Amino acid sequence: MDWGKVKFFLGEVLRNFTRNAGMQVTAIGTVAITIVLLGTFLFVRAALAGLGGQLLDQITISATVAGNASAAQTIALRRLIAADPRVASVEYVPKEKGWADLQRRLRGQIDTSLIPGNPLPDVLRVHAKHPEQVPAVAANIGRLSGIGTVRYGHSEVVRLLQLGDVLRRVGVGVIALFFCVAGIIIANTIRLTVFARRREISIMQLVGATNFYIRAPFICEGLLDGLVGTLLAVVVLGVARVTIWPKLVAALLFIPLNSVSFELGRMVAELFVVGGAVGIVASWIAVGRHLRT
Amino acid sequence: MLSLRNVSLVYPNGVHALDHVNLEIAKGEFVFLVGDSGTGKSSLLRLLYREARPTSGEITVDGIRVDRLRRNRVPALRRHLGVVFQDFKLLVDKTVWENVAFAMQVTGAHTRDVMRQVPRVLDLVGLAHKSRMYPGELSGGEQQRSAIARALVNNPKILLCDEPTGNLDPDNGNEIMELLSRINLKGTTVVVATHNQSVVDRMRRRVVRLQEGRVATDEERGYYYLGLGQGQVLSG
Repeated sequence: MDWGKVKFFLGEVLRNFTRNAGMQVTAIGTVAITIVLLGTFLFVRAALAGLGGQLLDQITISATVAGNASAAQTIALRRLIAADPRVASVEYVPKEKGWADLQRRLRGQIDTSLIPGNPLPDVLRVHAKHPEQVPAVAANIGRLSGIGTVRYGHSEVVRLLQLGDVLRRVGVGVIALFFCVAGIIIANTIRLTVFARRREISIMQLVGATNFYIRAPFICEGLLDGLVGTLLAVVVLGVARVTIWPKLVAALLFIPLNSVSFELGRMVAELFVVGGAVGIVASWIAVGRHLRT
Repeated sequence: MLSLRNVSLVYPNGVHALDHVNLEIAKGEFVFLVGDSGTGKSSLLRLLYREARPTSGEITVDGIRVDRLRRNRVPALRRHLGVVFQDFKLLVDKTVWENVAFAMQVTGAHTRDVMRQVPRVLDLVGLAHKSRMYPGELSGGEQQRSAIARALVNNPKILLCDEPTGNLDPDNGNEIMELLSRINLKGTTVVVATHNQSVVDRMRRRVVRLQEGRVATDEERGYYYLGLGQGQVLSG
């Protein structure tokens, strides 16, 4: 290992980095702001996705058992539905229990004693393993003989699934937009440093330095811009998580934000990858344009 | 060592810089390129170190077909060459030592080789005692000697000099030419584009005269002006 080479290379990177301190501060600041926005967006998206997931998890398929079905047939139906690999659980609710539950829920609102007998059928309550499988599982149950009607709040499930889909697509679009904005700013910063060092670059080219060797310090400079900016952003987001998030949870009691879990480590890693990648790509393009001319 | 066959160069703006130039330079030769401004001296040098590509013709430098050379192979060509300019092209924020070492460091030379070679060339150009000074602290002649040291540090077989004495007074100009002559004696092929009549007339080396982009004359031991020695002037 030639440490002299390493020292020279790092010296060149550091010299670049400190030479245009004002521009570097601007680039790092912009990356930091962009990453804070991106981090906030990822946070909100994770929260919404978490809440949506919770709502979807609560969706139950309610299948009534035909009135003429025997107890043995009902048990067989329950086993048949439970055998479906997409089904998480099947709960049998006899009509007596269902009627008692309904009477309890409607107490004080409707006088159920006016209703003659028990109008409810036996019901099988089915949970799917994954929310998006609910429609297919429900359709499958509906085809079984001995099953009356099947309900699962079809339109709500479809809407929630659509919402999740829209969030994912918007998320990709927003991230791409942030990526472009940060990239353009870093590219312009690097372009200025390239311009400031054009004499040095022309001499490097003259003595036979390869384009890769000329490019490398600028790539490192862009990477440094991206990573330092991301570090600042992560600190800001971390402070916000500790100070603002508990207040938000307390203020929005009607939304169960507390139960939403975040993969913080992964999110931070993603932000660093985005920040670093923006720096590398932007500086590669900025220097490339100069080397071609 | 250097060969141009039927080489023409037309710039994108339509200017015909070189017109069917034929020139052979052997290994170890010292050649002056002379001619008025705009006759194609610098353009010819630019073609040799592949700063420009010929519009037509064949160029060979140390066995490399420069006219066909792909862009990613240009660095390899330039490691065979040293180039010196009128304006020195030194980095003002690096010392003499750093400027010279820079040429080796950016081509990936081992630090051990840098430490051995840089003092050697600084000694050759007579700047060992000023190695820690910055270009701004040196005279024009010393700056040009630094630039020559940088051009020589990678042991090139060919040294191309574009008006190396253009920014220097006569004494410093003579010193630089003596230095180039010494370098040539060590076996390096030296090509100098110049307007400096006195050094050309005094050194009496091969003189290739360009006129309107063509080789007008090529003399084995020539003068700046055709058939004239130092102190003589053209009449009329």
